[in-house]
Amino acid sequence: MVKASITIKNASGLHLRPTGVLCNEAIKYQSSIRFLSKNNTSETNAKSVLSVLGACIKCGDEITFVCEGPDEEQALAAMLDAVESGLGESVAHGR
Amino acid sequence: MYKGTNASAGIGIGKAAIVEEAELIIEQKAVVSVEAEVERFRKALEKTVSETERLAKELAENVGEKEAEIMQGHMMLLMDPMLTGEIESSVKNSSVCAEYAIEQVCNMYADVFAGMDSEMMQQRATDMRDIKTRMQRVLLGIETVDIASLPQGTILVAKDLTPSMTAGINPKNIVGIVTELGGKTSHSAILARAMEIPAVVAVTGFLKDVKDGDEVIVDGSTGNVYVNPDAATAAEYAGRRDQYLKEKEELQQYIGKPSVTKDGVHLEVVANIGKPEDVEKVLEYDGEGVGLFRTEFLFMDRSAMPTEDEQYEAYKTVAERLAGKPVIIRTLDIGGDKEIPYMGLTKDENPFLGYRAIRLCLDRKDDIYRPQLRALLRASAYGNIRIMIPMVTCIDEIREAKALIEETKAELDRKGIPYNKDIQVGIMVETAAASLMADVFAKEVDFFSIGTNDLTQYTMSCDRSNERISYLYSTFNPAVLRSIQRIISCANEAGIMVGMCGEAASDPMMIPLLIAFGLNEFSMSASAILQSRRIICNSSREELQAVAEKAMSFATTKEVEDYMREFVKSQA
Repeated sequence: MVKASITIKNASGLHLRPTGVLCNEAIKYQSSIRFLSKNNTSETNAKSVLSVLGACIKCGDEITFVCEGPDEEQALAAMLDAVESGLGESVAHGR
Repeated sequence: MYKGTNASAGIGIGKAAIVEEAELIIEQKAVVSVEAEVERFRKALEKTVSETERLAKELAENVGEKEAEIMQGHMMLLMDPMLTGEIESSVKNSSVCAEYAIEQVCNMYADVFAGMDSEMMQQRATDMRDIKTRMQRVLLGIETVDIASLPQGTILVAKDLTPSMTAGINPKNIVGIVTELGGKTSHSAILARAMEIPAVVAVTGFLKDVKDGDEVIVDGSTGNVYVNPDAATAAEYAGRRDQYLKEKEELQQYIGKPSVTKDGVHLEVVANIGKPEDVEKVLEYDGEGVGLFRTEFLFMDRSAMPTEDEQYEAYKTVAERLAGKPVIIRTLDIGGDKEIPYMGLTKDENPFLGYRAIRLCLDRKDDIYRPQLRALLRASAYGNIRIMIPMVTCIDEIREAKALIEETKAELDRKGIPYNKDIQVGIMVETAAASLMADVFAKEVDFFSIGTNDLTQYTMSCDRSNERISYLYSTFNPAVLRSIQRIISCANEAGIMVGMCGEAASDPMMIPLLIAFGLNEFSMSASAILQSRRIICNSSREELQAVAEKAMSFATTKEVEDYMREFVKSQA
């Protein structure tokens, strides 16, 4: 099992469009991909649009990805990459 | 006559086609073979997905990519492994029919979304219910009404338009829309406006009175709807529709035309925007720039301060899209009328006289003002950005803000980051104090923009949201007009640009006065630009001097308004 945290920078948080991009990336991997966030007691399934939307993630929230399975390393890297690049929306990059 | 909410302007005359979604009766039926039932569900799901895909395509072709997004969202929800997994296990575990399992699972999610505090998420509840009925329809073999094949000249009548129904609309054939439910910001209203189809929503009890094929008139500007009108009404509206279309076409001629009065005075008609996306409308209506870009959107509905980079991207996007036309960006105008926990902002006892706008920003230089000014300066390398400071009351505030801008410039110089060294810095003139000191301010700043909403409120000591004292709130009050006239002449004397943002700048009764006073720039919502440009092009500043003189001689709001109303009528 591997994990890492990242901050969501999309202006309107994880609404439908960026969520779709995140899930489409997640389903490419065999490993289970979940994340934890401060407002949610249970884990969120990153492969499910409904699960991610239900987590109600806002701009500035930090989430912690937890990946487990045969390709967990690649899955984690891909998730961090996807969030960093703005999930299909233009966001500011850290300097 | 029926009365509803005007949702999309214009007049539509045609024959009613009632689009009714038959009530679905979902019963909890036991099934013998759960495997067969799961298979039945999967087949229905597949069909629903492919139908949705077709709708998304149609919508993209008929209306636009942006409008098709809602259907693409539905596809994502339909293909969600969690949703389908839960429906299948509900069938398996309780041996119930697929229709019932769908009902239970989708309603559960719809309720979750409906309970969230963001409007964007609440919209997902509508989406869940929409995909629920679509799947159930396929399972029950109930055909949906094919809106796409309705004949030319149809007025669409429905209880409410679901996104899947609106997706099928061909704007060539549908000349009007009437619904019993909905509001100005509901999905159907937004789409109607995007397709420029006249629409009236929230017409209570309409469906029980209207039949298929009835003659219907939809006045999307007033919210009036007529069924089988008498000959006189029908003729009147046919005339009005032609007038409306003629006027719309006539206004199109003003695209690309300069805003010059008959006596050769060059003026600027620009737009107020609240989000980077609003730029599209500005370009569509040929705005000569942006006179007010509110930056509050960057700070609202979120749990942490926007980063400098995030702001920079937003400002840069707008500056680039406007390609060298002026973009006046107003620094943060926020205060105690809104609670923003992450900023530590609490409700003020008297928010409009309290800790807000520049007062707050100068007190919060490190975490709020410096990052915003840095973002603005950095973005100024990519277009014609001007900085505007809101709610200035005394000279010290503007001096302090300007010193901060100079400090920020020096910092960027040290780091070798490019910016426009000659960036203009101006103020909103909206407090009584700034108006009285306008001659002094004019020597310290590069431009003025008169914010009429606040100027009226502060001049009249009148809370603009208080219905009981609304008699006081008018920009045509002689005191407010004197203030406006003074601000403009102070700017003219000092040789700086003076504009006006606030709806008064697009009021046909106000524009003649503003031209006469010597206003240079008129900033308004994009949709009002062409109409205002037409007024300017048909006016002469010199001829209007007498009108302004007469208007300024009155003692009461009513006298001024009556006089200006008559003047506008006499020009038509």
